[in-house]
Amino acid sequence: MHLTGYFLQRLLRGLVTFWFAVTVTFFLVRLLPGDPVSAVASPSMTEEIRQRQLEVYGLDRPLLAQYFAYLGQLVQGNLGISFLSSQPVSKILLERLPWTLLLTGTALIVTVLLGIPLGVLAATRARGWVDQIVQVSGVIGQSLFVPSIGIFLLYTLGLLAGWFPIGGAVKSDLTGFARIASIAHHLVLPCLTLVMAQLASYVLTLRATLIEALGEEYCDLARAKGTPENKVIWKHALRNALLPTTTLIGLQIGFLVGGAVLTETIYAYPGVGRAIFEAVGQLDFPVLQGAFVLLAATVVLANLATDLAYGLLDPRVRAG
Amino acid sequence: MIREIRNALTRRAVLMGGVVMAMGVAGLTQVQAQEPTRLVIGTTADVVNFNPLVGNSRSDTWVTNLMYPRLMQMTAQGSKDPYVATEWGYSEDGLSAWLEIRDDLTWSDGTAFTADDIVFTITAVTTEKIGVTAGLIPAFVSATAASPTRVEFVLSRPDSTFLTNIGFWMPIVPKHAFPEVGQVATFANNTDFVSAGPFILTSVEPGQRYLLEAVDNYPLVEAGRANIDEVEFRVFPDVNAQALALRAGDLDVIANSLPAPIARTLQGQPNITVAQAPSLGWSHMLYNLQREPLSKVEVRRALAHAVDYEAIRAIAMQGLAESTNSSVISPVLSYWADPEAQEYAFDPELSKQLLTDAGYTDADGDGFFDNLSLSLLYEQSAADIANWAQIVKDSSAQAGIRIELVGLERNTYLARAREQKDFDIYAGNWAVMEEPAAYLGLAFRTGAFINYASVSDPQLEAYIDEAQSATTPEAARVPVQAAAKLIQDQVYDNVLYYQTFQFAYNSERWENFVMQPSDLLSLVNPLSLASVTPKN
Repeated sequence: MHLTGYFLQRLLRGLVTFWFAVTVTFFLVRLLPGDPVSAVASPSMTEEIRQRQLEVYGLDRPLLAQYFAYLGQLVQGNLGISFLSSQPVSKILLERLPWTLLLTGTALIVTVLLGIPLGVLAATRARGWVDQIVQVSGVIGQSLFVPSIGIFLLYTLGLLAGWFPIGGAVKSDLTGFARIASIAHHLVLPCLTLVMAQLASYVLTLRATLIEALGEEYCDLARAKGTPENKVIWKHALRNALLPTTTLIGLQIGFLVGGAVLTETIYAYPGVGRAIFEAVGQLDFPVLQGAFVLLAATVVLANLATDLAYGLLDPRVRAG
Repeated sequence: MIREIRNALTRRAVLMGGVVMAMGVAGLTQVQAQEPTRLVIGTTADVVNFNPLVGNSRSDTWVTNLMYPRLMQMTAQGSKDPYVATEWGYSEDGLSAWLEIRDDLTWSDGTAFTADDIVFTITAVTTEKIGVTAGLIPAFVSATAASPTRVEFVLSRPDSTFLTNIGFWMPIVPKHAFPEVGQVATFANNTDFVSAGPFILTSVEPGQRYLLEAVDNYPLVEAGRANIDEVEFRVFPDVNAQALALRAGDLDVIANSLPAPIARTLQGQPNITVAQAPSLGWSHMLYNLQREPLSKVEVRRALAHAVDYEAIRAIAMQGLAESTNSSVISPVLSYWADPEAQEYAFDPELSKQLLTDAGYTDADGDGFFDNLSLSLLYEQSAADIANWAQIVKDSSAQAGIRIELVGLERNTYLARAREQKDFDIYAGNWAVMEEPAAYLGLAFRTGAFINYASVSDPQLEAYIDEAQSATTPEAARVPVQAAAKLIQDQVYDNVLYYQTFQFAYNSERWENFVMQPSDLLSLVNPLSLASVTPKN
């Protein structure tokens, strides 16, 4: 199949997945304890005021009508109005999204940049002391609880050493380069925490697949033809071994947008994860719904990118 | 050649570095000369709603309190002192009320703060049924501005709590900057702020900080203006990180009450002071009177005598709690409290006797009365309550009463307790209960807003009616105490303690905070933040 056809097929599948996620989310948040009507309209209100409140939030219509109205709004980029703050949900989420993308995007890039060489190193020195260290560190890294890493780093590098600020994303009253420097300074510890929590998955996955790939016949053939070992590793084996890692990256991107709740909480980082967490606690249905839609869109886009990368890395995938 | 280029680059780098340094030094000098005094306050949550009539989280209240004044201020005993309102009173028949306000207060845009603003606010609150205030003033009929400084109210029945309720619970909003009545509840109020408090919000960074600057005219403090230039609320969702920020000097005050272990850690720091304030709210257990066997007073009394109150305060609360003598009026509210009230004794044998007299037996000899198994509903994220719920279970077991603990996520807990009344025993707390005649009505009238236990007692309602219709505190005190005695006798509410809140601030840098009771006011009330000064 041609790459364009393959991409269009995946795009269509992504759109269907997105619609399905939006639909499930719409009905799922209404199964939460608490009633959206009681969140915006008190029984003690006069009928006129109560009716007006329900109209403002579109709760005066039957559920199915609300659902179709919501889909209609969504197409126009309107995520509704927050029950609690009376502000547009898109404004609330878009104020937070850049911080989350900065944090999780940086963490992902650093993780991949460290993870691939470490994975290669461990695989090419399998059962050697480097491999042992990488494996033990990997297991420890996977066992660490994000809040514990966060508080430890804040205490040692923030309070005791005084090298990094304790919480926040940027100092106030700064502009230009000073602001950028402050953002970078505030980013170090939360980013390090996410890298520490994620690195092991990449290293261990790549190590296992690369060891397997290096034992394949096509690698033996390359060696027999006199191809240097480095070229065998980086050009032949790694290309195949990267497929599961690419899947992992795709999954992690979706997870990173909403999954950095704990890191954002510990470091007082103003991201979307915290907004979702707060919306659940406050039963702010429109914000919750909007956040899930955002997550669904991110996951679908990430999977689309992953599929595309697969298609490029391995032509057999395009052939079906 | 290469060396020349390198030397040239080095010279240029040194030169540029010098210029940057000089600019930096010049900039710093300039900044230092104009550096405003800023108090940085830590809070655990963002401001959700800037409309003070709607926003009800602590962060909402702390920030909006600094812009929208209340008419009265609360004393440590829960009574109300003059603030914006200077005098108030009721007519002899109790069917009208009035209050006078200061004539020197203005909104930050220069508009005078007048009686019209108060009339607008109370009309919006009662018409649109906004917030807790609407439920507290059912007797309100209408309000008129008799003059720029005098408001007169018409009441449907005498209500001795009306003025103090609006005095403390109703922040006043600017009529000229808010939409018309009918659209106030949905007004976000998130731009173009107008303030009649000591500060005005000038910058909002969601998830991070809220910056307020001092306004020039705030006549409610001696200097006519706050002593500091700026207040910054910084959001730290995690209290551990918040405590580290206070220790590192990134925060000056922690506004939220601190868990005991963190307060103890901070107490050991030389530059930090941990201050205490009473909560003015209580922690309690409610027994569902709609369910058998809890509808029987003997069973409720047996349950009340099966609770180890001292252990709860000493162990679960780590000493940061005061007994209310099992009364719904704490000794902290000294004017109202009944000095003869006594706490239910922890006496498992008495509990057993009461249950035996009520016909319960332990036929299978397992140490528990047969057919007497109750569930205790609590919010699992409320650490204090989760701790004492276990103590209640253990001490009840000593009296042969089997209790199953049901810890739930907050929203499920609220839905089951408040909406569905689906519980045997409810464990929870009330935040601020400072006006007995008012809160008794909210908590114990048939079908009242927070009457989760479904209490319905004509005698109790008669006492509440009498207290609320009294036009003087003296006339209200007798029925209030009688109501509290009846509630205790019938175990309509088993009050365990008043919590002592702990707050921390950097005492090396700051002084002259004015502590007020409850965690809504504490160190960050408007008077305190207008009075606080940096130490030299």
